[in-house]
Amino acid sequence: MKNLIKIKDHESIKFVNEINYFRAPEKIYVPTKCLKETFKINDYVFKNTIFDNYVSSVSGKIINVDEILYNNSKSEVLVVENDYKENINNKNKKVKIKSKEDLIEVIKKYNLENIYKKITEIKDISHFVVKSIDEEVYSIKQLILLQNYYHEILETINLIQSVLKLKQSLLVTKNTNFNSIKNVKSIIGTYPNIMIRLVEDKYLIGEDVFLCKHLNYNLQKTLILTVEEILEIHNIIFGHSMVETIITVSGNKIKSPLIMSVRIGTSLKEIMSKYLSDLGTDYDIFINGLLKGYRIKDGEDILISKEIHSIVINKIERKSITNCINCGACKKICPVNINVKLCYEKKLKHKKCLGCGLCNYICPANLKLKEIVSGDKL
Amino acid sequence: MKKTTNKLIIENICLLFPFILYGIYKNGFLLYQKNLISVLEILKPLYLVLISVAIKIIVDLIKDKKINFDYNFVYVILIGMMMPCNINLILYTITFFVFYILFHFLEKYIKINKVCLIGLIIIFCNFLLNDFTYMSLLEKNYEFNFSFTDYLFGRNIGSISTSSIILSIISYIYLLGNFYYKKDIPFMINITYVILAFIYLFIYNDGTYLLNSELIFGSIFVATLSEYSPYSNKFQILYGIFIGIIAFIVSLLFDKILAIYIAIFITSTIMLILSLIKTKK
Repeated sequence: MKNLIKIKDHESIKFVNEINYFRAPEKIYVPTKCLKETFKINDYVFKNTIFDNYVSSVSGKIINVDEILYNNSKSEVLVVENDYKENINNKNKKVKIKSKEDLIEVIKKYNLENIYKKITEIKDISHFVVKSIDEEVYSIKQLILLQNYYHEILETINLIQSVLKLKQSLLVTKNTNFNSIKNVKSIIGTYPNIMIRLVEDKYLIGEDVFLCKHLNYNLQKTLILTVEEILEIHNIIFGHSMVETIITVSGNKIKSPLIMSVRIGTSLKEIMSKYLSDLGTDYDIFINGLLKGYRIKDGEDILISKEIHSIVINKIERKSITNCINCGACKKICPVNINVKLCYEKKLKHKKCLGCGLCNYICPANLKLKEIVSGDKL
Repeated sequence: MKKTTNKLIIENICLLFPFILYGIYKNGFLLYQKNLISVLEILKPLYLVLISVAIKIIVDLIKDKKINFDYNFVYVILIGMMMPCNINLILYTITFFVFYILFHFLEKYIKINKVCLIGLIIIFCNFLLNDFTYMSLLEKNYEFNFSFTDYLFGRNIGSISTSSIILSIISYIYLLGNFYYKKDIPFMINITYVILAFIYLFIYNDGTYLLNSELIFGSIFVATLSEYSPYSNKFQILYGIFIGIIAFIVSLLFDKILAIYIAIFITSTIMLILSLIKTKK
């Protein structure tokens, strides 16, 4: 494993620490693949209706079936027209968790697949780490969550720690997240078993494998959750539903970058028409960052799901792609030592690839290396 | 940190420019002061480079009907710089044109180190017509006892624009900060060569092989050409050691100045053959 690098962000792109709430979308979209039961057009959907891995964030009638981009693939969706009544069918109840088994059961019930996988895969958990680390340069979702929900986060960490019967847990954040650190430090004394650990602002430090190496923890025995996952658990325990998600909207095409809290299922076009109507036409949209993320095609719309954390809108910059000059920079920069050039030439996908995008970033010939090595779509 | 291919090419050309200027001073201006050459001949190092660039542009226009801004610009400039002082300009133009076209079209089928191969062929053709010497007229007419600082600043026998060790060292220090530069190669070449030269000094009490300006220049600019050198760290080290050994043997048996180019050519050809065998398997 190699030394991690710091990727400089553009000086002119600075976020103002103010969240813009967009809570009244005209429509929301529900991917049909997330549905357990069948819904028809004109059926009524209550707010908080839990689909397979998805919660309806508004109440209203299903008016149409459409196609929209969801998690980087075109998906069939039900279009729910918001009646702005916020009708809830059955209010979620508080859940009591007394043991690890209770926790696992609740997580399974509410389809929190990622968390379920993490908790059940580790047989003997010796360390519990909660990270508030944003990887991409123009994404600050984890930071904002910690900054605004530090009470809830610390409370839930404390609960999980006691359920897992651990003596200590660690909250890790970047040493540049000043406001979050200040907030957490103001109440961390109430939780003597939770320690805060600051790490350097370097790209990929938040990857579990690098974080464990940095903390000197055994990856196989460490449970690592993000603050977002902790909040999901908190919401289940206290009977709240996570109907909103935080996204950052930035890029060199935007005058002032935005931090937004939007309803899950809202379309990007609707957000842009409300907040970024003066953009013009000559821009590229990147979802989830410039390095790890992907570009959406011109005119394409995307559904805002909880997996989306950043939207970068940049001026169109067509990079000229030249032949490989055999410099080996892709191999040199790869954090997991993959022979990227060889994989690219043989069109091979590599199972160790983290999809970090550093090879694409460094390539002087602007070749699409990550897409081949990680097996992403071109 | 991030640089595009075009930026790398421009950076390379900019680094070579001071060498050409020094070549004009050493093999032009100083000779003119002693009335050994005419005014027009002062700029001979520049003419060589301009002829190479012009031929590259003509070949591009013939082949693609447009000028390609590619690494061939660096290659042709390097070829122009590694020529001996007594090179005949007409002969250089003809041989360069013929062999550049030939290898440019052959490149599709076989990736061979163009810089060393074309350079060595032109030098060989020149030697057939002129004397086998790298000395300028000044060096031919006067006896020199070069000091260490003379060597450093380029006052020694070498190619027309490559003899300044101090410029080579400055360029290397600058290139160390370039993420794309294969810095291990020149380091290994020079270390291997110097160790062998020291061993030779202790055994035969002869230190003439210790300082070789051409070796330093060649190792920094020619041996590291991305297209013809290995990209993995281990192979770069092996490649460097191998070139260092061959360069020392060639300088003992044949010529100290040409040694580095012959060594690079032999090593990259062996590498090419090995990779062809590997692909066939």
